[in-house]
Amino acid sequence: MIRNYFKIAWRNLGANKLFTTLNVAGLAIGICVCIILFTYVSNELGFDRMYKNSANIYRVNMETSSHYDFETWATLPNAVGPAIVEDIPQVKSMSRLIKDDFGATASLKVEDKNFTEKRLYLADSAIFKLFDFNFIEGNSHTAFSKPKSIVVSQSAKERLFNNESALGKTIIVNNRDTLQVTGVYKDLPHNSVIDCNMIYNIMDSWMGTNVYWSNASYETYCLLEANADVAAIQKQATALIDKNVEKSGQYFTKFLFQPLTKIHLYSSHLRESYTSRQGNISTVKSLLFLSLLVLLIACINYMNLATANSRKRTKSIGMNKVLGANKRQMLFLFYMETAILTCIAIVIGYAAAFLGIPLFERITGNELHYSNLYSTPILISLLAIWATVTLIAGSYPAISMSNISPLALMNKSQKKHRGAEFVRKGLVVFQFAASIILIIAVVIILQQMDFIKTKDLGYKPEGVVALSVKSAQNQQQIQNLINALERKSTVKSVSAVQTIPGDVESGRSVRKLATDTEGLPVNTCRTYGDIIETMQLKLLAGNELPTTIAKGDSTCYTLINEAIISYLGYKTPEEAVGKSINTEFGDNAIISGVIKDFNYKSVKDKIGGYMYYKMTDGPESVRTLLVRYNTKNLSGFLQDVQKSFNENLPNTAFAYQFLDKYVENLYLSEQRTANTATVFSLLAIFIACLGLFGLAAFTAEERTKEIGIRKVLGATVTGVTKLLTKDFLKLVLIAFAIAVPVAWWLTHKWLMEFAYRTQINWWVFVIAGIIAMCIALITISFQAIKTAIANPVDSLRNE
Amino acid sequence: MLLELNHIFKWVSQGGSRVFLLKDINLLVEEGEFISIMGPSGSGKSTLLNVIGMLDGFQEGEYNFLDQSVHSLKEKKRSQLYKEYIGFVFQAYHLIDELTVYENIETPLLYKNVKASERKALVADMLDRFNIVGKKDLFPSQLSGGQQQLVGIARALIAKPKLILADEPTGNLNSKQSEEIMELFKELNQEGVTIIQATHSELNAAYGSRTIHLLDGGRDNI
Repeated sequence: MIRNYFKIAWRNLGANKLFTTLNVAGLAIGICVCIILFTYVSNELGFDRMYKNSANIYRVNMETSSHYDFETWATLPNAVGPAIVEDIPQVKSMSRLIKDDFGATASLKVEDKNFTEKRLYLADSAIFKLFDFNFIEGNSHTAFSKPKSIVVSQSAKERLFNNESALGKTIIVNNRDTLQVTGVYKDLPHNSVIDCNMIYNIMDSWMGTNVYWSNASYETYCLLEANADVAAIQKQATALIDKNVEKSGQYFTKFLFQPLTKIHLYSSHLRESYTSRQGNISTVKSLLFLSLLVLLIACINYMNLATANSRKRTKSIGMNKVLGANKRQMLFLFYMETAILTCIAIVIGYAAAFLGIPLFERITGNELHYSNLYSTPILISLLAIWATVTLIAGSYPAISMSNISPLALMNKSQKKHRGAEFVRKGLVVFQFAASIILIIAVVIILQQMDFIKTKDLGYKPEGVVALSVKSAQNQQQIQNLINALERKSTVKSVSAVQTIPGDVESGRSVRKLATDTEGLPVNTCRTYGDIIETMQLKLLAGNELPTTIAKGDSTCYTLINEAIISYLGYKTPEEAVGKSINTEFGDNAIISGVIKDFNYKSVKDKIGGYMYYKMTDGPESVRTLLVRYNTKNLSGFLQDVQKSFNENLPNTAFAYQFLDKYVENLYLSEQRTANTATVFSLLAIFIACLGLFGLAAFTAEERTKEIGIRKVLGATVTGVTKLLTKDFLKLVLIAFAIAVPVAWWLTHKWLMEFAYRTQINWWVFVIAGIIAMCIALITISFQAIKTAIANPVDSLRNE
Repeated sequence: MLLELNHIFKWVSQGGSRVFLLKDINLLVEEGEFISIMGPSGSGKSTLLNVIGMLDGFQEGEYNFLDQSVHSLKEKKRSQLYKEYIGFVFQAYHLIDELTVYENIETPLLYKNVKASERKALVADMLDRFNIVGKKDLFPSQLSGGQQQLVGIARALIAKPKLILADEPTGNLNSKQSEEIMELFKELNQEGVTIIQATHSELNAAYGSRTIHLLDGGRDNI
């Protein structure tokens, strides 16, 4: 019996090649998207679950006070970790984790070769106890037993030392510390937030020995006893604040223990941690939602196409019933057919997933590995997809078709099911509404991206290259490099700065009166050189910072932006020039000039107070040279710069970054959103078109006789085509009406994330509508014209 | 007695008034009869066959089949009854396009849950008897009209029904093929199968042992 059903189903699929192809194509696309997305999701959800202690490791975060807008930070003062271990018995051990030099790229020297390294960490030796490090050279016990030790990952070892043993070799970090390799560990899993390439002992640095409760830069991981009461521990830890910090100095109020397994996905609201693998649960959710939407659209498609084909099937079902089949058996037959088709689609979709993964990585910037495709959860999800799609997509055709009465055979055509027709039309409206929403979203996202790219940022990031000089052995080296660069004809100007805009400024505050306890938080950036010329800032009043400061002059000269003068209450920029300003720089700070507000951060953020300062022996060091160049020959220019760099800073790796690229990277996630939305909308539209094509074919078939009669009575081909198209365009219009408010709401919500944003224009909606209409028209007209030009004799003969 | 129709009425409502499809039909059929139903288009021949075949219902009257009152049976019981005792032959053959000759003939046995080995034997017998062994792997579209109707009859017979209902079985065939099919019916009847056929043709009707004339849904007694 089953064999017979299988045969019927299989031959049916073979007999309707067009329909089978459309169906399989639609489903395969939907399934392929689902498989890739499931792979991505299972990878994201699997983060940090592989460690033996995963369930008992927590990262300590802290809640700040009003000084910092009650933000939650993932980094703590370095005194917190040791204090917690000492005071709370349920905390078994603790390791602080911080990137070398607070996250700036490190410059390494091995023998006479220079390397750069972005993932050089400092940690307590307990880190080897918390996480599972597999040592291939050395071991976890002896790793930090000698001072000035460093352990490296296998891939880092291969990069630095090729295939030789690394044990006992020397690495010079930032021309400052000479460290000896005491261990090599297998690369940590790629789905872990712990992404260290190299680790050295924090106790070898002032960062570990000089403990304080002020600067909060240290991630702190704790290993708790199994089944520890986390809430209680959190309270005990929070109590340490009052014990150690005076009330007036408390800018953080609470410690929060975050489970290790939640760090990857649930930390996007936290002020930055050091990991390069920051996920976002809302991205996971929205991608999952989009993939299910595409799959649903594909299922709808199947339903439409299957019922569209029903006229041909009616006879065979009627006959089977006359021969004694019951409803249940017919139901089974249709499910069987769906199951076979879905199975084919899954095989194709699964194969396509292998091709799709690199594409997915490019579009979304998420790392995926092929090996994930073979993992058990994915293989199980294949079965789940198979069952679900069969049940969902098969349900409507199976139920509606198994109800066909044997009388259908007797040419007693059944009454048209109003209900069924409504369902079919509803499905098409749903598909098109979803497509139109996606089109509108894509257009608006692209508009915002364009807005960002063309917005006047208040400075010009184009034509500036930033060189890292933080590993220079002394100031003289930097000055020599500046001089060398300034001599080049290709260089317009050079400024030495603490940081490129929006990266690692220092947080200070400006107060109206020296006695005020609270003020305006400002970012301060130490500089020398002509910063206005290099950044192309707009000077509103006053002067640029003095080129030289006389010996013994302890004045701090500042260049402030409009946000600060409006806080201070000056009516015009001119009024502020020459006045002194109350900051942590002491009594001797004066305002040299006022610059127009510029977007030193992403345009998502409102522009706050910003201050460039110049003083003898400033508290921060200068780590970057901004070089404004004036040439089209970039590679030649870079070679030239590197040559001067190597001459003047012989022991430092050459690391550079173009400022416009850096700014572009601020919007990487938005760019990815745009790409993702584009791809998904294309897929959704494509599948929706398949569905519409099916429905058009169905209607054309249903109305063949009517069309035949109309033609005999003198209707023209154009007239008939119009007749057949009209109804569908109505559906698209309804879909449009549904889509517009939803799309407006969604895009409006997205745009609200930006402090500076484009307007939502009405014509975007019109264009989306027209696009959908055109696509629908093209799809339908193929069938409509085919029916319209058919010879009426053929359609009327058989009645 | 094989079946008995008493005062069968069947109508549809059209614009408030009843249009009768069957009007006061009384019919008694004994086992072994060969009955021809004649009448012009729209006289209700097919409707009557559908009612007898239990594919269609009626509004008034009684229908007894082998001492069971069909009008009071549940849908499921009724379908069991016709599955067991009635075979259908159609003017348009109504073979299942996706199945081969062999599979078409086998289908009724599948729905009766006959064992595979038995099915094989029965179908082989039938193919033999109708001389279509060589065609068993062909699809209906590869056969001529007469051959398709042969398969249709073979399929109707496979489950060993007591009654064959044939609705214009030769309507789509030429005269030579017609004659062959009617001769076949005659043979079957002689073997004891009761046959009721609807036909336009006097010639075909003459094969029957008795002819019933219908006009506008009622018996037209001449």
